[in-house]
Amino acid sequence: MAVKKDYKDQKLAEKLRDRKYYIPDSNPEFIKDVEKIGQTAAHMCYQCGTCTGSCPSAPRSSYRIRLFMRKAILGLEEEILTDPDLWLCTTCYSCTDRCPRDLAPTDAIMAMRNLAFKRDIVPRNFLQTVQLIYKTGHGVPNNDANRAARKRLGLEAEPETTHKYPEYLPGIRRILDHYRLKENADRILAEGE
Amino acid sequence: MSGNKHQYAFFLGCIAPNRYPGIEAAAIQTSKNVGIDLLPLKGASCCPAPGAFGSIDLNVWYAMAARNVVLAEQMKMDIALICNGCYKSIYEVNHKLKHNDELRDGVNEVLKEIDMEFKGTADVWHLAELYYDPKIVGVKKLADSVKRPLAGAKIAVHYGCHLMKPGKERHFGDTENPMWMEELVAALGAEPVQYRNKMQCCGAGGGVRGYDLAHALDITNEKLINMQEVGVDAVTEVCPFCQLQFDRGQIEIKEKFGAEYGIPVLHYNELLGLAQGMSPDELALDLHAISVEPFLKKIL
Repeated sequence: MAVKKDYKDQKLAEKLRDRKYYIPDSNPEFIKDVEKIGQTAAHMCYQCGTCTGSCPSAPRSSYRIRLFMRKAILGLEEEILTDPDLWLCTTCYSCTDRCPRDLAPTDAIMAMRNLAFKRDIVPRNFLQTVQLIYKTGHGVPNNDANRAARKRLGLEAEPETTHKYPEYLPGIRRILDHYRLKENADRILAEGE
Repeated sequence: MSGNKHQYAFFLGCIAPNRYPGIEAAAIQTSKNVGIDLLPLKGASCCPAPGAFGSIDLNVWYAMAARNVVLAEQMKMDIALICNGCYKSIYEVNHKLKHNDELRDGVNEVLKEIDMEFKGTADVWHLAELYYDPKIVGVKKLADSVKRPLAGAKIAVHYGCHLMKPGKERHFGDTENPMWMEELVAALGAEPVQYRNKMQCCGAGGGVRGYDLAHALDITNEKLINMQEVGVDAVTEVCPFCQLQFDRGQIEIKEKFGAEYGIPVLHYNELLGLAQGMSPDELALDLHAISVEPFLKKIL
C-alpha cells in the first residue's frame, strides 16, 4: 500500500499524496535480480503497452505483461511471485520482438518464474517434466504404441537418444543433481499432494 | 550412408521420435533426396523443453542443452533439427555460450563433472532453413525433387515462435509477415494461403499447455478459425510441438468447446515426403489425431 504523507499542511499532503510509487513493503533489489537472470535492462520500461498489445494471452485472461514489468520496477515481489497469471506467458516472444526499448519482456517473465521457483512457487506440470527427463532423458518419452509404429516405418523401436543408449542417463542425472533440481521437484510435488 | 555432400548430426528432440515418428522417417529420407545426410546423434536427450526448464532454472537449461551440443562437437559436426522448441534450446544456448565467457565457464564447470567441455565448434540449423538456403539445397532443388506435385492443395503455413523470434537474435529477416516458408510450400506444387494473424503462437509454449489447457486451446482455436475462414486443406509447420497442439488440440477443442474443424496438420517434412512420393504408410500418417484422408484424396 502507498504511504500517507505526514505533511504539516493537510491540503498539500492530500494534493501530493502518493498514488502508487512509494511502497514500503517492496523490494528494491527485485528488479536487479530480474535483470541479472533475464539479461535485460527491464528498469528502462516506459510502459508503452506494445508488449500487452502483442500478447496472445492478454485477450483471454487477466495476464498483462506490461503490469508485470511495472510491478517488477516497483519491487512488488510478493504480488508478482504469487500471481497465477505469471505462468500464462506462452513465451511466443512477440513482445520481445516488438519492444521499442529492446527490453525482452519475455525474458523478464522467465526470470520472475526462476525467482518464484526459488521459493517453491511453480505449477506441477513443470516439475513433472523434470521427473520424466531425470528418468528417461525425454520430456515426452516413448511408449509401446509408438514403438510399434516406429518398427512399421523401418526405424528402430527406440530412437538414437537416451532411449537407445541409457548409458548416457547418469551424466544427465549428474547435471540435474548438481542444481538439486530433481530433489526439489520431488519435494515440492510431495508437499503439494 | 549415401555419402551426400552435406552431413549433419540429427537432433531428434522428444515429440517427433516419440509421438510422430513419421516426421523422423520423413526427415531422413527427404533430406537424403536433396543431398543432406542426417546422422544419429547418439545419447541426445530432451533439448530440454525451453518453457518448462527455462522457467524453472535457466542455468539447468543452459547446461542440459550444452551437453547435447557437445555430443555433436565430439562428432565434429553441425546439428540439424526439426523442431522450433529444440531450436530455441539448442541454437540459442549454443549461441549464448559462444559469445558469453562467464556463462560458458559456468556451464563448463558443471560439464566437467561428466568429463565434457563445451568448445563452441558446432553450429545449429533447422532443417527448414537448410532447405531454403540455396548454398545447401534451395527452393529450386527442392522443387526438382518433387515426384507428385501437391497440385490443388491450399495450405496454411504456421511459422511458430521460437525459430524466428526474437528476430534480433536470429537471422531470418522479417518476423511480422515472412514468406519464405510459403516459398517452400509452393515448391511442392501446393498453393500457400494467407490468413489472419498468421504469426500468432499456437498456444502450447511456455508450459501453458500443461498449466492451463483451456487457455492454450483458446489460442489454438483462434488460429483454426482464421485458417478455416480462408478455406485450407491442411496446415503445415516445422515444430512437432505446434503439430501436437493443432492436431490433438482439435480433438480437445471439440471436447471442451464443441467446435470442429477437421484441418489436417502436417509437418513440412511429411508434406515434402508426400510430394517426393513417400506413401502415407511410410509416414505413419494414421497416427495423426485429425484424419489426413481428405487431404490425401485431394493430392493422390
